Amino acid sequence: MDTLLRTEKLITGHSVSKRKKVVLHNDLSLTIGKGELIALLGPNGAGKSTLLGTVTGMLPPLGGDVYYGEKNLAHMSNKEVAKEVALVLTDKIDDRYLTTYELVATGRYPYGSFIGKLTELDKDNINNAIDAVGAGELITRFFYTLSDGEKQKVLLARALAQDTPLILLDEPTAFIDSPGKVVIMNLLTKLVKDHNKTILLTTHDTELALSYASRLWLLGKDNTFVEGLPDELVKNGMINKLFDRQGVVFNRLTYRFEAEK
Amino acid sequence: MLTRKNRIIIFAILPGIIVLLFIMNLWYGSVSIGWFEVLTTLFSSTESNTSSQIIIMQYRLPQAITAMSVGIGLSVAGLLLQTTFSNPLAGPSVLGISAGASLGVALLVLLGGASGLQIGSLSMVLNDFTMFIAAFGGALVVLLIIIFVSGKIGNVVTVLIIGIMIGYLVSAIVGTLQFFSSSEDLHSFVLWGLGSFSKTTVTQSISIFSVTFLITIGSLFFVKPLNALLLGHRYAVSSGFNVKLMQSIFILIAGFLIALGTAFTGPIAFVGLAVPHIARTIFNTSNHSILLPAVILIGAALTLACNLLSKLPGYDASLPINAVTSMVGAPVVIWVIIKGRRMNIG
Repeated sequence: MDTLLRTEKLITGHSVSKRKKVVLHNDLSLTIGKGELIALLGPNGAGKSTLLGTVTGMLPPLGGDVYYGEKNLAHMSNKEVAKEVALVLTDKIDDRYLTTYELVATGRYPYGSFIGKLTELDKDNINNAIDAVGAGELITRFFYTLSDGEKQKVLLARALAQDTPLILLDEPTAFIDSPGKVVIMNLLTKLVKDHNKTILLTTHDTELALSYASRLWLLGKDNTFVEGLPDELVKNGMINKLFDRQGVVFNRLTYRFEAEK
Repeated sequence: MLTRKNRIIIFAILPGIIVLLFIMNLWYGSVSIGWFEVLTTLFSSTESNTSSQIIIMQYRLPQAITAMSVGIGLSVAGLLLQTTFSNPLAGPSVLGISAGASLGVALLVLLGGASGLQIGSLSMVLNDFTMFIAAFGGALVVLLIIIFVSGKIGNVVTVLIIGIMIGYLVSAIVGTLQFFSSSEDLHSFVLWGLGSFSKTTVTQSISIFSVTFLITIGSLFFVKPLNALLLGHRYAVSSGFNVKLMQSIFILIAGFLIALGTAFTGPIAFVGLAVPHIARTIFNTSNHSILLPAVILIGAALTLACNLLSKLPGYDASLPINAVTSMVGAPVVIWVIIKGRRMNIG
C-alpha cells in the first residue's frame, strides 16, 4: 500500500510562550495509506484539531517531521501542500454574497497563476466535483442560504475540486441531523471507492466511525494514542477506556454509549 | 441574482456617467461658463489665456482629476481593508492612517508655526510640497507600526483594534498641539482637516491619478487571494496562499493609497467605507474580479458627484467636501448597520 502521509516522532501541542510549551502528544509515528478512511476519535480537548492543524502545516510541530510522500512538510510551500491535501473545516464562512459555484472554484486556486480566469480543466474539475457530491441544483445559490448539510456537501465539493489525493475533514457530521450524517458518511465512502480519495476525519460520532472507518485513531486526554481496526478496538476495550466516564459505559454489541445500570 | 448580461450593461454605463460627471465638474462653478467653451477648451490644442479657459484648465480640471483619483484610491483601499480584516466596517479612517496623516500635517503647521522655525510663510507651507511630505510621512509612520504589529500578532482583528487605538492616540496628540498653537495656525490646520480637492496643481493632479491608476491596476493581480480570504484565514491557507504575506501586502497597498490621497486633499470621510458596500449591493457579489473594477468606477463617480454637490451653493466658496461625502456616506453606513443581520456584524 502506498503511503500518502507519514509522521516521524511528531510532537503536537501549543507554544504558550518562547519557553513554555504545552505538549499534547509525543512521539507520534503515523501513516495514512492510499484508499483508507481513517476516523480520528477523542474527547473534547484531546488534541484532534491540533493534530489536523499540525499535519497540514497550519500549526508548527513542537518536534518531529511530517512527510507527504518523500517531501518533508517543513520544506513545502503552502501551494505545494495545497496540491497534496484538501481541507473541510468547521470555520464559519460569513460572506453573504458568495455563490456556491464561486466557493467551489476557490478549490482550483492552487493551480494556475494569481490572475487568469478559470481554465477548461478548472471548470471540468469544478463541475465534476459538484456532480460527485450531488450539489448541482445549488450552484447559483448564495452559500450562506444553504442548510448545514448542504454546506458540508459544497465544502466537500471544494475539496474535491482541489484534486488532491488526501482530504482531511474536521467534524464533518457535527450540526447535521441523523439521516444527514449517514448521507455524508456514504458520500465519503463513495469518494474513497470510486474517486481514489483517501480520507482522514475527526468526529464525535463513535457509532458512525466504527461502522464506516477502515481504521481508527484514538486520542486520549492523558496524552495517549492508540490505533487499530474498529472491531479490534471494541473487543480489546480501548474505546471504553477512552470515553468512559462516571455513569456512562460503551455497549460493545450496539456500538453505543449507554447509562450505567 | 444579477445576470451576467445585466452586469455588463452596468459596467458599460458607469464610464459614461463618469465622463458626464467629469465634464459637468468643468462646466459648473461660481463663474458660469458655457458648455461649448468647456468642450472647445478641453479639445483644442492651442494654448489660450481667456479667463474662462484659465479657470477650466488651472482650477476645475485638476480639481476633477484629483477628486476622481482620490475616489478610486480610497474605494480600492476600503475594499482591500474590508476583505483583509473580514470586517464590513473597516475603512481608511479605521486603521489610523488618516489620523497619521493629520499628525504629520499638524506637526508641520502647528508646531512649525509655534516654534518659529518656519519653512516659509504659512501660505507657502500650505501650497507647498512639504504638506504632502508631512502627511505622507505621518501616514507612513502609522502604517509601519501597523505592519510591525501585524507581523508580531497573527490575529487581524487585534491589528484592527490596535489601529483604532493608534488613531485615538494620534488624535489626542493632534488635539494637544492644537491647544498650544496660535489661532492663525489653527485656522489653516482646520481648513486642511475639512478636506478639499482644489489644492492641487495640474501636474500634481495628474501625478496622483497616474500613481493611483498604476497601484489600482496592480491590485487586480490579487483577485484570487482576495476571494480566498472571504472563506477565512485557514481556508485561504488551504487554497495555497501565504496569507500573512498577502494581508501585509493588502494593508501596505491600502495604506499607500490612503496616504497619497489624504496628503493632497485632507482626510476624506466615508468614501472608502461606503463605496465597497454600494458595489456589493449593485452587483450582488463579493467576487473581487467584479468588485475591484466596480469600486474603481463607483468610487470615481461618487467623488465627482460629491465635488459637484459641494459647488451647489454657487457662492465664491464651495461647501467643505467632507460635509458632502459624510452626508452621502453616513446614510450608507447606517443602512449597512440596519441591514446588520444580513451583513453579519457583531
